[in-house]
Amino acid sequence: MSDDYLRFEGVTKQFGPVPVVAPTDLSIGRGEFVAFLGPSGCGKTTLMRMVGGLDTPTSGRILLEARPVGGPDRRRGMVFQSYSSFPWQTVAENIAFGMRYRDDMSPQEKTASVAHHLALIGLEAFADHYPNRISGGMRQRVAIARTLAAGSEVLLMDEPFGALDALTRERLQVELRRIQAHEAKTTIFVTHDVEEAVFLADRIVVFSQRPARVVAQVDVTAVLGVERSLDLRESRPFFDLRNDVLHLIRHETGDPQ
Amino acid sequence: MNPLFTFRGKPSTTVEILCGAGFALALIGVWEAASDLGWIAPTFLPSPSRVAVAGWGLLTKQHLLWHAGVSTLRVWVAFLIAAAMAVPIGILMSSYRIVGASLEPTIDFIRYLPVPALVPLSIIWFGIGEETKIFLLWLGTFFQLVLLVADDARRVPHEYVEIARTLGGSSRAVLTDVVFRAMGPTLVDNLRITLGWCWTYLILAEIIAADSGLGYVIWSARRFVKTPEVMAGVVVIGIIGLVTDQILRAFHRRLFRYL
Ligand SMILES: Nc1ncnc2c1ncn2[C@@H]1O[C@H](COP(=O)(O)OP(=O)(O)OP(=O)(O)O)[C@@H](O)[C@H]1O
Ligand SMILES: [Mg+2]
Repeated sequence: MSDDYLRFEGVTKQFGPVPVVAPTDLSIGRGEFVAFLGPSGCGKTTLMRMVGGLDTPTSGRILLEARPVGGPDRRRGMVFQSYSSFPWQTVAENIAFGMRYRDDMSPQEKTASVAHHLALIGLEAFADHYPNRISGGMRQRVAIARTLAAGSEVLLMDEPFGALDALTRERLQVELRRIQAHEAKTTIFVTHDVEEAVFLADRIVVFSQRPARVVAQVDVTAVLGVERSLDLRESRPFFDLRNDVLHLIRHETGDPQ
Repeated sequence: MNPLFTFRGKPSTTVEILCGAGFALALIGVWEAASDLGWIAPTFLPSPSRVAVAGWGLLTKQHLLWHAGVSTLRVWVAFLIAAAMAVPIGILMSSYRIVGASLEPTIDFIRYLPVPALVPLSIIWFGIGEETKIFLLWLGTFFQLVLLVADDARRVPHEYVEIARTLGGSSRAVLTDVVFRAMGPTLVDNLRITLGWCWTYLILAEIIAADSGLGYVIWSARRFVKTPEVMAGVVVIGIIGLVTDQILRAFHRRLFRYL
């Protein structure tokens, strides 16, 4: 894995007098799935927004393929926890919106891509539904599909499943992992949920309390491999790793999660 | 459980319409009875039937429809000018803080000036022609509407804007494709409410300087204490308002099916 696809170099962020991100260095490889784990309010969202170009670092820089990232663009797609799909558009229109500003695709290609992504998230039957007529989990799938359709190379997800029930969440995790393997997108996934992080990620980055500082990194793929199925969740290695990470969080971040 | 009296329950549309009409008819019935039984002097409050007769007289002998048409036209011209200015300016005020910061104090100041106080000035500026009326209506609506629009635009969740930005939309594209779309329902609601205010100022303008329009009809009837005619004129305004409002609501439902 080339380790220098996405690089944080001494990145800090301060809101007024409050330091939110302490100097952070981090490298993420192309196609890698990294989970950001840390106590509430520690600065994970802020870090992610800086990658997306929605905030700028106070100092240091973020490099994508050795070039500093600028303002937001299609290469880095965001999936938010709430307000993730546009209520005035149907599911299909929401997905098509991801390609609205692409001039590298013909209208036919765009139509085909909507169909492809509808199938990818299994919502063909709901193509013409408005977001308020589908479940929260479906809405998040729509948001993911829209970002994929935009052709984003980096997926930035901020607790995308945070508001969902455990069962839906589990199903979407499997699905996300499958999609990610299929599309090979570099992914940063912010979550509070240790099991979610262990199940999804190739690597977990654990942050301290505010100001965020990397306190530990856990190579999940080295332990669990690349294939993740629901059975894995009940396996011994999964369970052990989950406990290790929990332990890390308790002792390294000073936060009893 | 009976949905009629359930807290926030939803009775059927038919029931709702029947209840609305029923209440209005009952009120008219009480009014008719009060007048017929001589509880109230007819010059003070003529009975509904006399108002209806007077209305018929206005309609057949005094070109009531033409006057109503003139008034409606004035309202819509002024309203459309106000809206065409307020919507883009309001959206810009919320999208670029500097525009908002520059305009808001002045707009707020003018907004609090009572329109009647500006009538003399308006007559000095524009004479007593159509310009004065349009100006007064515009004055009464533009400054209110522009702040409402700015607030609507401000309330569009920032997430929508940021999503569109990370999908490659320029500021301009985000403004039209996201902000304008997201604020649609509240915008149409505010336009509907502002249109109602236009009628208030219209009557004022027509009473002061006009030889046509419903305000003129009402005011000239008053001079001869023709109370039934005065009331007929008022009723016509009410009916136009009611019909317009229903049409705009239907338009709202069609346009925003997703709500
Ligand atoms: N625009 C802002 N202005 C001022 N302070 C901010 C701003 N955005 C975030 N903060 C502060 O920065 C800190 C980190 O916020 P951030 O949203 O990055 O945390 P987080 O790790 O994502 O938290 P959570 O897990 O609860 O979502 C918080 O204390 C927050 O109050
Ligand atoms: Mg957050």
